[in-house]
Amino acid sequence: MSELFDFSGMGAVVYKELRQILRSPFTLALAIGVPLLQLLLLGYAINTTVEHVPCAVYNEDRGPAAQAFIDGLAGSRTFDVVMNVSNRRDLIGAIVAGKVRAAFDIPQNFTADLLAGRDPAVGAFVDGSDSAIAQVAYGSAITLSGIPLRNLTAATVTPFEVRPVVLFNPAMRSANFFVPGLIGLVLQNITIMLTALAIVGERERGTLDQLLVTPIGTAGLMLGKLIPYVLVAALQFTAVLLGLRFVFGVPIAGNIVLLAVLSLSFLMVSLGLGLLISTIAQTQIQAQLMAIFILLPSVLVSGAVFERSLMPLPMQIFGYVIPLTYYIEILRGIVIRGAGVAQLWPSILPMLGYGVLIFVMASIRFARSTRG
Amino acid sequence: MNDPSIVLNTLTKAYGDRVVVDNVNFSVAAGTIFGYLGPNGSGKTTTIKMLCGLVRPTSGDAHVAGFDVETQANQVRRAIGYMAQGFSLYGDLTVDENLEFYGRAYGMSASAREARKRHVVETVGIGEYMQYLSANLSGGWQRRLALACALLHDPTVVFLDEPTAGIDPVARRDLWDLLFVLASAGKTFFVTTHYMDEAERCSSLAYIYQGHILASGSPDEICSMPDITPVDTVRYGIATDDVMETFRQTHNLQYLRDATIFGRDIHVVVDRRIAAAQLARDVGVDASRVEPIRPSLEDAFVALTRKADAA
Repeated sequence: MSELFDFSGMGAVVYKELRQILRSPFTLALAIGVPLLQLLLLGYAINTTVEHVPCAVYNEDRGPAAQAFIDGLAGSRTFDVVMNVSNRRDLIGAIVAGKVRAAFDIPQNFTADLLAGRDPAVGAFVDGSDSAIAQVAYGSAITLSGIPLRNLTAATVTPFEVRPVVLFNPAMRSANFFVPGLIGLVLQNITIMLTALAIVGERERGTLDQLLVTPIGTAGLMLGKLIPYVLVAALQFTAVLLGLRFVFGVPIAGNIVLLAVLSLSFLMVSLGLGLLISTIAQTQIQAQLMAIFILLPSVLVSGAVFERSLMPLPMQIFGYVIPLTYYIEILRGIVIRGAGVAQLWPSILPMLGYGVLIFVMASIRFARSTRG
Repeated sequence: MNDPSIVLNTLTKAYGDRVVVDNVNFSVAAGTIFGYLGPNGSGKTTTIKMLCGLVRPTSGDAHVAGFDVETQANQVRRAIGYMAQGFSLYGDLTVDENLEFYGRAYGMSASAREARKRHVVETVGIGEYMQYLSANLSGGWQRRLALACALLHDPTVVFLDEPTAGIDPVARRDLWDLLFVLASAGKTFFVTTHYMDEAERCSSLAYIYQGHILASGSPDEICSMPDITPVDTVRYGIATDDVMETFRQTHNLQYLRDATIFGRDIHVVVDRRIAAAQLARDVGVDASRVEPIRPSLEDAFVALTRKADAA
């Protein structure tokens, strides 16, 4: 047991691993770039928010209220005005041709009717081919034609003042929910893969025995393998965090230092999980299969994509077995709700506990497997 | 100087029912080169791994450099160097980085590392390749680098598992010359090999077959064992132009005990009453081409293996 917690030789292993990582800059670039790319790909793919629906406008009115309405359309995330047409036939034709998904017909005397309080109707045409787009476009069209223009009438002092950010972006929350979840997911995937081959790779290359005759201790080897990848993972985290903030425009409500510290802790847990796999697998192929075995269910039950409170109870319980579940709670808590340690400790403690447990298990497993 | 550096006492390793190393006893004197021979799968590597603390013995014990391999594994690790079978260094590190890593692994200070690195690099003569990736070195240089790594922390006992397998004859010869220099400086080498010329150069040998030690001692002692050439027999070498034909002829001899082809020669063991001239006549070669020979190590191992298989 004392041999298990022998940290000697850790520095040597860190030195070696860092040299090996830096030897192939392309691998390093991949390791850092892949999570960001995955985040971008998945972040857009998984987004249920319907945004930038191309639309056409037929403005028969040309008054200030019509212009305010079009500005509102253009300023919204939901619609992009890509066409102005000069008759109704072209308006429908644009939808039929697939050039736009929605079309708006602003009737003559729209401004005048509006100011006179006569509730004029804007004609909105929505392409029903894609039901998701159709529903959102339909809903947004109603919102657009109703509330803001009523506000406009009420606030007659500044008839051009429209507030599209507040009112036209009700779907902003979708990215806030999904992107932090995806960050947890892509970070877990890459970090498990990084270390899953660490020990079994040495075994397959025949270098493990040569390592084991040195005075390098079990814990020294395990931590030595882990630390360089924590540095890599920290870079990955920085990349995806920048993606979250500046590509998806998700504001971080909470303390960013706390977020970084807890994220780094999670990355160590996840790297440790990879290391554990690496001590169990006999070949690199086995290690990869085991990693996939962990990764796939964690997509489903961790809450990264699907809201956990909507899952059946056994699935919710299963989620508690996976460290990622806690990290995603932490991520969403800090990013969206601005939560601190006081609110998050029920997730922080189990996550850290898992980290220690996994590391000890990996060390024990390694010590057993190498002295037959 | 002549205290045994390695002592094996009823050392046994079994995996389930399969006994890989069975009740092995021998010792190796300090400052000598000990050759550990045997066919593939006979238990050589398992023995080395037990002595290096990589494999736990099932029973028995062993001491290396005065330390018990099981209870004093840490002391043993610091006292030994180990060169595993095949290329076991990091191909994606340079020669210098490999040495640096092992220096750090043994907890050597920066100045000690520099001094020792310089020393072993000079010893194995790998200086001009320091910045090469070790994967790009030739087999011979890779073995030298492995030896340099094994020697870096100045161990008293060095285990070399088939150090010359797969390298060219010149590199093989150079490596052995190096071992002699190092052994004369007091280091003990425990070497496994399949090459008989290397075995001949060892101070002492043990031959393991299916987990059992069939013979141990100096090459001369092993060759003169009664098992090799039984008392009522005599060993002749037959030089012949048609090896296969002559070999067939020998099998018609009533008094033949054993016949083995060695290149263009045939070594036979026959009844001791048979004279060289009669043997030459019976197999149809000129009398000048048959002469009594001392058994070679290969003769000895072939004889020991056949005897063990027959038992």
